[in-house]
Amino acid sequence: MSSNNYWKGVEELDQTQEFVSSNANEFSEGLPLEQVFSNDDSTRANRRDFLKYFGFGLGAVSLAACNKAPIKKAIPYVEKPDNVTPGVPLYYASSSVSNTEGFPVLVKVREGRPIKFEPNKEATYFGGGLDGLGHSALLSLYDTNRLKGAMVAGKRKPIAWKDFDKEVVTALNKVKAAGKSIAIVTDGSTSLLSQQAIADFSATYNNTDVVAYDPISYSGITRANNTSFGRAIIPAYNFDKADVIVSFGADFLGTWISPIKFHSDYSKNRVPKNGKMSKHYQFESLMSLTGSNADVRVPMKMSNVGQHLVALYRELGGATPHKGMEVAGNNIKIAAEELKAAGNKGLVVCGSNNEADQLLVNAINMMLGGYGTTIDTTNYYMGQNADEAAFTSFLSKAKSGAYGAVITLGSNPVYSYSGTEDILAKIPVRISTSITMDETSSNATHIATDLHPLESWDIKQPYKGRFILAQPTISPVFEGRQASSSLAAWAGADVSEKNDLSHAYKYAKKVFSSAVGGDFNKALEMGVVEKTASPSVPSFNITGGKAADALATKKGAATELVLYQKVGVRDGAYGNTPWAHEMPDPVSKVTWDNYLTMSMPDAKANDLSTGDVVKITVPTGSIQIPVLIQPGQTKSTYGIALGYGRILPDDVKNDLKDLGQNAYPLVEMKGGFADYTIGDVKIEKVAGAPTYEFGITQTHYSIEGRDIIREATLDEYNIDPLAGSHVHKPKMISLWDDYDYSKGHHWAMAIDLNSCTGCSACIVSCSIENNVPIVGRDEVRRRREMHWLRIDRYYSFEAPAKKDLELSIVHGGDQTVEAGEQMTKEKVMEAYSNASEDESTAYDYYENVKVAHQPMMCQHCDNAPCETVCPVLATTHSSEGLNQMTYNRCIGTKYCGNNCPYKVRRFNWFRYNENEKFDYHFSNDLGKMVINPDVTVRSRGVMEKCSFCVQRIQSTKLTAKRENRKMNTDEFTTACAQTCPSNAIVFGDLNDKSSEIAQLYANDRSYHVLEELGVKPSVQYMTKIRNTKATSTKKAH
Amino acid sequence: MYSADIRQPLVTGGKTYSDVTADICRPIENKPTNSWWLGFSIGVVLLLVLAGTLAWTVWEGIGTWNTNKSVMWGWDITNFVFWVGIGHAGTLISAVLLLFRQKWRMSINRSAEAMTIFAVFCAAIFPLFHMGRVWLGFWPLPLPNAFGSLWVNFNSPLLWDVFAISTYLSVSLVFWYLGLIPDIATVRDRATSKARKYWYGFFAMGWNGSAKSWGRYEVVALILAGISTPLVLSVHTIVSMDFATSVIPGWHTTIFPPYFVAGAIFSGFGMVLTLLLIARHVMNYQDYITTEHLEAMTKVILLTGSVVGLAYITEFVIAAYSGYEYEQYAFANRMFGPYAWAYWTMMFCNLMAPQVFWSKWARTTPWFIFVISIVVNIGMWFERFVIIVTSLHRDFLPSSWVMYHATWVEVGIFLGTFGLFFTCFFLFAKFLPVINMAEVKTIIKDKE
Repeated sequence: MSSNNYWKGVEELDQTQEFVSSNANEFSEGLPLEQVFSNDDSTRANRRDFLKYFGFGLGAVSLAACNKAPIKKAIPYVEKPDNVTPGVPLYYASSSVSNTEGFPVLVKVREGRPIKFEPNKEATYFGGGLDGLGHSALLSLYDTNRLKGAMVAGKRKPIAWKDFDKEVVTALNKVKAAGKSIAIVTDGSTSLLSQQAIADFSATYNNTDVVAYDPISYSGITRANNTSFGRAIIPAYNFDKADVIVSFGADFLGTWISPIKFHSDYSKNRVPKNGKMSKHYQFESLMSLTGSNADVRVPMKMSNVGQHLVALYRELGGATPHKGMEVAGNNIKIAAEELKAAGNKGLVVCGSNNEADQLLVNAINMMLGGYGTTIDTTNYYMGQNADEAAFTSFLSKAKSGAYGAVITLGSNPVYSYSGTEDILAKIPVRISTSITMDETSSNATHIATDLHPLESWDIKQPYKGRFILAQPTISPVFEGRQASSSLAAWAGADVSEKNDLSHAYKYAKKVFSSAVGGDFNKALEMGVVEKTASPSVPSFNITGGKAADALATKKGAATELVLYQKVGVRDGAYGNTPWAHEMPDPVSKVTWDNYLTMSMPDAKANDLSTGDVVKITVPTGSIQIPVLIQPGQTKSTYGIALGYGRILPDDVKNDLKDLGQNAYPLVEMKGGFADYTIGDVKIEKVAGAPTYEFGITQTHYSIEGRDIIREATLDEYNIDPLAGSHVHKPKMISLWDDYDYSKGHHWAMAIDLNSCTGCSACIVSCSIENNVPIVGRDEVRRRREMHWLRIDRYYSFEAPAKKDLELSIVHGGDQTVEAGEQMTKEKVMEAYSNASEDESTAYDYYENVKVAHQPMMCQHCDNAPCETVCPVLATTHSSEGLNQMTYNRCIGTKYCGNNCPYKVRRFNWFRYNENEKFDYHFSNDLGKMVINPDVTVRSRGVMEKCSFCVQRIQSTKLTAKRENRKMNTDEFTTACAQTCPSNAIVFGDLNDKSSEIAQLYANDRSYHVLEELGVKPSVQYMTKIRNTKATSTKKAH
Repeated sequence: MYSADIRQPLVTGGKTYSDVTADICRPIENKPTNSWWLGFSIGVVLLLVLAGTLAWTVWEGIGTWNTNKSVMWGWDITNFVFWVGIGHAGTLISAVLLLFRQKWRMSINRSAEAMTIFAVFCAAIFPLFHMGRVWLGFWPLPLPNAFGSLWVNFNSPLLWDVFAISTYLSVSLVFWYLGLIPDIATVRDRATSKARKYWYGFFAMGWNGSAKSWGRYEVVALILAGISTPLVLSVHTIVSMDFATSVIPGWHTTIFPPYFVAGAIFSGFGMVLTLLLIARHVMNYQDYITTEHLEAMTKVILLTGSVVGLAYITEFVIAAYSGYEYEQYAFANRMFGPYAWAYWTMMFCNLMAPQVFWSKWARTTPWFIFVISIVVNIGMWFERFVIIVTSLHRDFLPSSWVMYHATWVEVGIFLGTFGLFFTCFFLFAKFLPVINMAEVKTIIKDKE
């Protein structure tokens, strides 16, 4: 304190009474509180308060304005991770997520987000393609309904893993102490990590039973093989080595065992080479994708498959004496002759899940000598190890109360095995590892939320000796934990992350060195490791005659219901896959629904038409479902697809709330086998039910005799390579100057109709690559699906008998249809039915159909009709032959769409992004992560269409430019061509004379669709050659 | 001037000059009648429907309509062509008949021209709102801009439409207004209130009725008639090219321009008849719009209806003869396909129904003409529907064959345009002389 004291006035110096009292107050004049709080308005706000109010007002307004301000941040990496460059994708070899056995894929990752699956071309055994579901399942990673962490029943919020583990271990120990068992129900996965974890777990808890469960059973094959040669396996089928394929109800291109691999193998022999191609017979009740590709397709009742097998066996020289088999036509005889000629290059497969049928199939293949060539039992298939006998015995044991705990490891039996829910409820501790709240986990007491496969380490072995490695491509989105680590944790291991390395990584390395061996990093890079042995022929201990005797008396049912899988969603394990639901079924072209397929004669007899709701009753139960009339379906057979009727979490949106009917409860357990063919069907129209409208993308199924798909038989083709494609056309004069493509690139595409099976994988691949919106069932009903690429499917019908038809003059007047002639026109078929006297057989020709599939996308015409009509030049031609769409310039007159002869242009009728009504993944932050950043998300009111994946062309060009070299045209391909499992689509540069596309363009089979219009398309199709008898032996002139 | 007795008078009832003025100014100067209020209210209600449905379309997207991946134009462009077609009669009556010195046109040309203008307003709504991004509707205009080489596509018939219709609208508007000037001046001169005097005075542009004014008026009218006459042919020719220059079977037809023009005159006269018969009845203008007028117009209908019918048949014969399966199918499909009902409705309404006008009774019986005029309107709407929808719903690839049915929004917009049309028409009838007084006065003693 300074000694100098200053005073403000004499009052202070004097310390007068007045000064002392006033100095005690902070404000000498006192606060105008009374004024402020009085009701007198005039004094409420005075001049001095102006700043106060102003400040408060400004603050309040700013605060209010802060609410919901759209703040969008683009934050650059502070520390850029190695190898991650914004805008440059990274590819990781991994395994597909949609099937449990594993399928090699490359995962395209942009800025840490997996955005697409691409085939792993290193994995040559698997063929280098993908399927629609495989692609679609990517969205399960970005599913907002994924569980956020470890859950305990009764609590909505995840709890810490430490607490969760403690609780589980206590519960499991209690089970052990009570002398009860623990059951682990796996999904038949070939994951070596899971198997090792189960082994480790069982070592700690020696009261553990392990049961494998798969919704779709192949135990007929495994048990037949066990009986035949003592090994309960599913062999590897090599369709590439088969010259003659005879399939009895096995949809091996669509849903049977390993269809993607079968696709690539099958297609290798489907393009005629040196005058030869494979011959494919298909005997089936429903029209399957495989049947639609067969050279000879014979309608058969699946319940009658045994009779056909016996007949074939007999024709092949087996010694069974039985006669009077229920076999239609002499196709079995012809097939037998061809099989005999093919010898060990003949292959017979059967989709029946019945040991007796499969025993006879084994006997037939043994007679043909196919073991070791077309059938490999050494490097056998491992993706299916479930046996329903084991599962039923588990259920009966559970019923008796023997289990104290059950761990469902990725499996979902409550959905697909009716009655499981009640039985599992008897087990006090139910632990599920699902990643979403599925039917099984919603009944669980504990959910040890698994990581998504794209967040996990894994090693899978789909075929003996063929290993597929899976690595995480994104850090866990939610607080899940890999199931193998959970099991290890409960077995007492420390699974916490150390040095940034997860337990699963170390575990995977350990399993790799013990089970596979070799360089782990190299294996990760390649994605596949092969350690196969040369195939050996097993020694058989069955006689075909005995097997045939057993079947000879087993006659087919009068009516039958066949439960099948649709190519899109398969067994239904991945319910929340909107892409797969929107992908039209390759055969019926229906999206989003399952339905009762029936033949036209049956529909006419029951007075039903497509969309009528019926109640179908079989001995196992009954459901109400709409009808779909399916050409090619055998009379008196009915079909319902499994995999529908999922009960997804409550907060799924839009059409995912309503996914058809669950047909699993109708599966019949017969003699220990899950039988998917059920006899004794009753159909009853539901009175008063409104007609159900399907979301169907193609409603007209005849080609109207038009020169759109060109076809020829193999014999015709061998005589004349121009067969089917030999047309006389006038010389075209163009009003336009041709484009000069002599410099730079000239992009084009070739599609081989022989290889294309119509599997529709390309549709999904295209949709994901190009951010094509999912529009839902109702918009498909209104014919507004957005797919840039579609597959047209046409039927032609064989006239059974000669008939004179009365047609109106505008439809060609009266004409005669010969027996065996293909009818392709709607009016001809109508007249044919009308000309039949017998009402009950008037529509029988609907059974005998030929199918053709044709992928159709923007044809990138040189003289594009769309380009001339756009008033604002929003669609223009590039110097490289592309027909380009400039979304920003488009005002949406839709004239281009009208003027497109191929009808491939798609219009954004609504805003499909940021719109609750169409929220499948475009409207939530998580789902949007899957959007391809290289492709614009289109706004409402603009036209869009196939761009030939221009973003891929561009990025490849830029890479080449950066590396100061010329771009190689085989460096990249379009999303559809890349995905095609049968290599039907080839994209490339016509100016590169050595390229595949240039050679295909020179091929005799090449033609353009609607070339007479003079629009000069850049997509070329190749004549479909069917390996059937020649209809003409003359060479075209 | 001598005229033969065989000719009928153009205006009946022995009207004097002052009668004409009084008769025609009456609705303008008096309070609106109940029937005016009724008609006007219906018009306004429908106009509100138009506002609502258009707002909903812009808010939600064109998805609220039922147009789809194959039929991308449906009711929208059908209505557009329908309204543009209706707009044709006005110009034909005022311009072509002026050049041909058909004096009977004088008592109907004003309302026919008004109808033209309102119909073009209605028509313009459709190409504008059928755009996916209507807020960019000005992009088809060749406006200089700062976006580099961004320009319009002069190859596109849609661009030709923009020019054709805007030219047509502006010429029609000028022509109509020019004809109104002397009559507005008459109303101005008779006005009793200040407001009327001011506004009619404003729009009369200082018309003084001098011989010089009249001389210039007639010269300008003749020049505008000369300009308008080719427009009668050009507008619908260009509209028809929207279809004719495309590649779609059923659209790609060289017969379209004359066929469309005939159809447009046909539908225009149908609509003129509908309106005049109502106006004649409601406003008691039987002496000005005589059965002679009606008969003359029914003859035009008979002629153009037959031309259109001939075109239908020619089209079919050419398709059958072409040897081109897509073309053949397109026409077979029209007759016997799922939209056959629309085709036969069109055939009945446009080709068969007008044939009744061979009978004198039919040509001179107003209520009957009214019925047929409605039939013609319906038929011509269906003609456009048949051309647009049945061609698109089944074109080249059967995989893309679809059906198309309008939603309530599309129906609402169509009904709403009638609201706009009638609202405008009733306002016109209230505030402007519906009959050209000046011209009619020149013919009250005249004969046909």
